[in-house]
Amino acid sequence: MADDLLRISSLCAGYLGEDVVHDVDLSIAAGEAVAVIGSNGAGKTTLFKAICGMSAPSAGTVTFDGTNIAGLGAHQVVRAGIAYVPAERHLFPSMTVRDNLALGAYPKRPEPKQLDFVFELFPRLKERSSQHAGTMSGGEQQMVAVGRAIMSNPRLLMLDEPTTGLSPLLASEAYKALAELRADGLTILVAEQQVPLALELADRGYVLDHGRVQLTGTSDELADDPEVRRAYLGVA
Amino acid sequence: MTAVVLDGIVLGLQMGLLGVGLTLVYGLGGVLNLAHGQFAVFAAIVIARLLDADLSLWVAIPAGLVCAALLGLVIDLSLMRPVYRLRGEDRVLLGLLLMLGVGTIIDGLLEWRYPIEALSIRVPGGPVSVLGVPMRRGGLVGSAMALTAGAALFGFFRFSTFGRATRSVIQDEDGARLCGVNPGTVRTTIFVLSGILAGLVGISRSMTAPIEVTSGVGLTITALIVAVVGGLGSVSGAFLAGVLLGIVSTVSAFYIGSYITTIVLLATAALTIVFRPSGLLGHRP
Repeated sequence: MADDLLRISSLCAGYLGEDVVHDVDLSIAAGEAVAVIGSNGAGKTTLFKAICGMSAPSAGTVTFDGTNIAGLGAHQVVRAGIAYVPAERHLFPSMTVRDNLALGAYPKRPEPKQLDFVFELFPRLKERSSQHAGTMSGGEQQMVAVGRAIMSNPRLLMLDEPTTGLSPLLASEAYKALAELRADGLTILVAEQQVPLALELADRGYVLDHGRVQLTGTSDELADDPEVRRAYLGVA
Repeated sequence: MTAVVLDGIVLGLQMGLLGVGLTLVYGLGGVLNLAHGQFAVFAAIVIARLLDADLSLWVAIPAGLVCAALLGLVIDLSLMRPVYRLRGEDRVLLGLLLMLGVGTIIDGLLEWRYPIEALSIRVPGGPVSVLGVPMRRGGLVGSAMALTAGAALFGFFRFSTFGRATRSVIQDEDGARLCGVNPGTVRTTIFVLSGILAGLVGISRSMTAPIEVTSGVGLTITALIVAVVGGLGSVSGAFLAGVLLGIVSTVSAFYIGSYITTIVLLATAALTIVFRPSGLLGHRP
């Protein structure tokens, strides 16, 4: 497709010269929600880190809106329009919720409109806006992490296992918020082990195993695939 | 007793101003600047030389600060590059060793070229009475400088966008990168700022005691103790620790003897590490 917002071709990435992700091709059109599913150690995090500039890919291209961004630093990638929410969240523990959110807009000053948008999505953050992020519960920290990413007004939001450490109830609430963002027209790429939640949100999905794309299709196709059902949906 | 405590506060504000430059650089990237005191001496000697050349104080002081800033910039862009490419313990060790080397070189060059040079800025006018204690004007002007610098730093870190970005790198470097903050730019800026802060200490301290070419090591040790007690990376912690240690220092010098003061200060730092490893106001990563 010519109008892909993000297109990844033959991407290889890993740590200390050892590739963990091999030859991955992946694309997302503007407005789409796409899931990358796979078990622990399948290479989802490595792939995401290589896309968002947390680590440099060893080969391949990452084309975002027509320009190759492979090899750029994370701070440059976010300024280009890709916001990344890592599984570990990487919040600023001794700063208030408000300061954490404000940093999301860096290098600009936070726009009140954008802040209101985040507070509307997560009313809880408004109540807790002067609390230190480090003293909050896991679910609230996840809200701060997503809110902070939204503050940069991204064109693509990437989330690595947004349900990490969350109870099933909070996990489905987190996905409810993502569905709202999606309905607002935001393009979303999510890596997830909780496959049912991810497939419910996404239009399409990629199954990653041993660092390679094993299968790709629409969410419905994947949900009906016997292999996916056996491995990820707990259906025999 | 009041006089001893007031003297302690005057000394302590200088110590705080000294510690804050070291604490910021360490908090940002794990580089322990063991040449911090030498930066102060370098600025002071530049100013002393310019004064010897009959330039006015109003020219010499800015020139000294600019030189200290440039020294910081040059070192950050050269020696610190390989340091920041390393991670964890390796980075701390290489940074510490390189800065120890820089300090030794500055000491050696200054002692060789200007062995008897010293900066001593005389503030005109007689003593001023504070709480009934006559205080020397030099000490009060120096304290005012330290307080102003401290307040400016506090405001910068609390309210400015770049200050907030600096705190974000101290608290979570990866998180900062994901927000669009370039840690390298922040570190360079703060290294330069720390050079300027060291230069300020060289100036304000010289209003009460001369800064000599051999003063560097002692100043570095003081900065290190203040930074440890205050909590590495904390601006207000450094000033709080500076004032407390300043009082400890003058009280122990008055009642026990000045020869033992350094030991008392080092013991305070050691006890802080044992009982409160993150320092008075430091945050635990």
